[in-house]
Amino acid sequence: MIRYIVKRLVFAIPTLLAVLTLVFVLVRIVPGDPAQTILGDQASQEALQALRQRLGVDKPIFDQYVDFIKGALVGNWGESLVTGRPVLAEVWAVLPYTVDLTVAAILLGALIGIPLGTWSALHRNEAIDYATRVISLLGLSFPAFVSGILLLLAFAIELRWFPVISAGKLDDPVERLRNLTLPAINLGIIMAAYVTRVTRSSMLEVLGEDYIRTARAKGVPDRAVIWRHSLRNALIPVVTVVGLYLGILIGNSVLTEIVFNRPGLGKLIVGALNQRDYTMLQGLMVVYAFLIVAVNLITDLTYGFIDPRVKHG
Amino acid sequence: MYRTLIGTLALGAALAVQPALAQKTTLNVGMASADAGKLDPHLSATTPDKALFNYMFNGLVRFKPGSMNPETIEPDIAEKWSSSEDAKTWTFNIRRGVQCHHGYGEITSADIVYSLQRAADPKRSGFSSDFKDFDKVEAVDANTIRVTLKSAVPSLLGLLTNYHGGNIVCKKAAEEMGENFQKKPVGTGPFMFSEYAPKQSVTLVAHKGYFRGAPKLEKVVYRYIPSDASRDLAYTSGEIDLLYGKGEQTWVERMGKLPNTVVEVFEPAEMAVLYLNTKMKPLDDLRVRQALGHALNIAEIVTFKGAAVARPAKSIVPIGYLGFTDDVPLLKYDPAKAKALLTEAGYPNGLTIKIIHTSLPGMLSTIEVVQQQFRKSGIILDMEIVEHATFHAEIRKDKSAIVQYQAARFPIADTYLTQFFHSSAIVGTPTAVTNFTHCNDADAEIVAARSEPDQAKQKALWKTAQQKLMTKVCALPIYENLLVWARRGNFDFGFKLEGSLNLGPVVSELAHFK
Repeated sequence: MIRYIVKRLVFAIPTLLAVLTLVFVLVRIVPGDPAQTILGDQASQEALQALRQRLGVDKPIFDQYVDFIKGALVGNWGESLVTGRPVLAEVWAVLPYTVDLTVAAILLGALIGIPLGTWSALHRNEAIDYATRVISLLGLSFPAFVSGILLLLAFAIELRWFPVISAGKLDDPVERLRNLTLPAINLGIIMAAYVTRVTRSSMLEVLGEDYIRTARAKGVPDRAVIWRHSLRNALIPVVTVVGLYLGILIGNSVLTEIVFNRPGLGKLIVGALNQRDYTMLQGLMVVYAFLIVAVNLITDLTYGFIDPRVKHG
Repeated sequence: MYRTLIGTLALGAALAVQPALAQKTTLNVGMASADAGKLDPHLSATTPDKALFNYMFNGLVRFKPGSMNPETIEPDIAEKWSSSEDAKTWTFNIRRGVQCHHGYGEITSADIVYSLQRAADPKRSGFSSDFKDFDKVEAVDANTIRVTLKSAVPSLLGLLTNYHGGNIVCKKAAEEMGENFQKKPVGTGPFMFSEYAPKQSVTLVAHKGYFRGAPKLEKVVYRYIPSDASRDLAYTSGEIDLLYGKGEQTWVERMGKLPNTVVEVFEPAEMAVLYLNTKMKPLDDLRVRQALGHALNIAEIVTFKGAAVARPAKSIVPIGYLGFTDDVPLLKYDPAKAKALLTEAGYPNGLTIKIIHTSLPGMLSTIEVVQQQFRKSGIILDMEIVEHATFHAEIRKDKSAIVQYQAARFPIADTYLTQFFHSSAIVGTPTAVTNFTHCNDADAEIVAARSEPDQAKQKALWKTAQQKLMTKVCALPIYENLLVWARRGNFDFGFKLEGSLNLGPVVSELAHFK
């Protein structure tokens, strides 16, 4: 098992390097000048050139690349071109907010989606099934920024239960939970919709299997058939989907972070892109690539826990 | 029972010492931005940063709070000043007792000399070109400095206000911190930097030793809220008290209806102008440029933007700037004349002009209206819409036949004329700024006005410059969009807000909740 994990991590290195190189080149091909962003449109060419020199963005792209790789290997990811603060510090400062939001959304998605999907599958083509399918489709097609504003109008403006600015400090757990609730619901709804639909179709497939019929014929109680024989087997595609959709979740989290005024990786990357903050973009891409690799690995390992027939070695 | 009684009494006593209605002393500001930039007043020129510098820094002189009229400039760190007859030598007397934040000591002439030299150094400042006519800045004694100029500048005092390079930084702090100064700026203003929360806010606290007296507010939390809808909701829910507004009529009307709310509409207006590339076909033909002018219905655009926030532009220099004149040949809306001019220029069936434009919503909606108006006269605008930073890069490579640009500058005609119409500012040249038109017809007047000591003659030169450039149709001024903010009705700036050069309301030691 350990050998498997190490092997996967070693294989991830070329992926990370490829992503990094691609991002490094792409952000520099796109027109735009970080010096102009910082100094504004009245800055003289002399001042712009001086700043470009100080930021190191006037060097040939290959030299910049070598500098960056050298720094990255020793843990120096450089400083944000725009704010001047270390990239790693900026990422660390917002990472807990992203982790909170993502974990909460996945949990919420699973807690709502798996029972709902199972229930829907067990009542196939009944009113409950139709209702679940329509509701989950609504959840999928609702843009995150619209549902976010609606949640704010209802719970922050009308009822005043939650704040509009869902940022705040992390050291107070009650405050942290209060700030997390609405954004997590907003993102959790999308996740729940995905999970519901996948669980339903997966359950339907498993329920039609021979071994389920055999179990029922042997007189195994319904509860055991559903929980032990069906759901456990149906969960593998669900786990795959949760893993795959993590990327989508990160995409949607940008909108959620903006609407709810939460710091987070999504907001960081959009800001960096708008301001042509090359170093920040590079750092963030490494984090994202690493996250995707890690999530894939965790997903693969989870298969083994759910289904003992899956072996890693 | 006994414990409960004691507890109740203690709680009662604690409540009793609280004032019946505690006066609010924390101001929450909502700014339309994702984050702070470099918090160094000599480096950052973005709107969110500039508005914040206002609270932390002083200049040698300042605009009267709530105004941006150069004629209202009054003492700030300098208590008085004098100049030589040729306006090339200026002496400033530094006020005693001006304290730097965080115990960095009293301001002396050494700080002023350091700060102005720093602002003039392209390696440490984005505003070095403003100081190109400075010969030397020297300390005469501990409380006197002398500025010697190579040639007279149109508004020296303007350069020394608490705006851009005129903001005074504390020498000891800036030297000690080096690059870190931008993370923990130290000035002398009524509020001092306390904390930065990434992607969330900057917190300032009252500078008790402020030379005009301790601020009435204890704290200012400057929150970065990029989403317009969320910023409005945060105001509605009571989480912010003062917010940056959308420069739209509907926003003004909607916010104006909220209880205990005052909408502030103030100067400077950002002027939207279509800069025409006179070296690029087909705009190298004067008749085509005139046709564009006659195809443009400015009144309709102002109606579209809303009369509460927009007014028609009257010249290539914004209304109210020192040297502005409306005695210029403005082209009237006349589609028939536009078509006739196009026919005369050899385009009887109309023509297509390719332009690059930003995707920024406020500017995009303007050019889309212009596009429809032009279509009526047979002019097709073929627009390549790009993201804003790309737009800025592309237009500086001289790639667009027409550039729509919105800007506000230091309110004297020289800034606009120099940056947008002097030959030294032509894009693609080593000294480029924002001359997208390639016009150089008023170079002589622009340069002469800079060092003209007689203000009447100076104004006459600026007027001639505007007339020449407008006659050549180098640019088509469209409209001016005023700044819009909203505040709680019980929050008082301590003065009437009519203008703020730093693009955000000044929050001074006088600001308080009633």
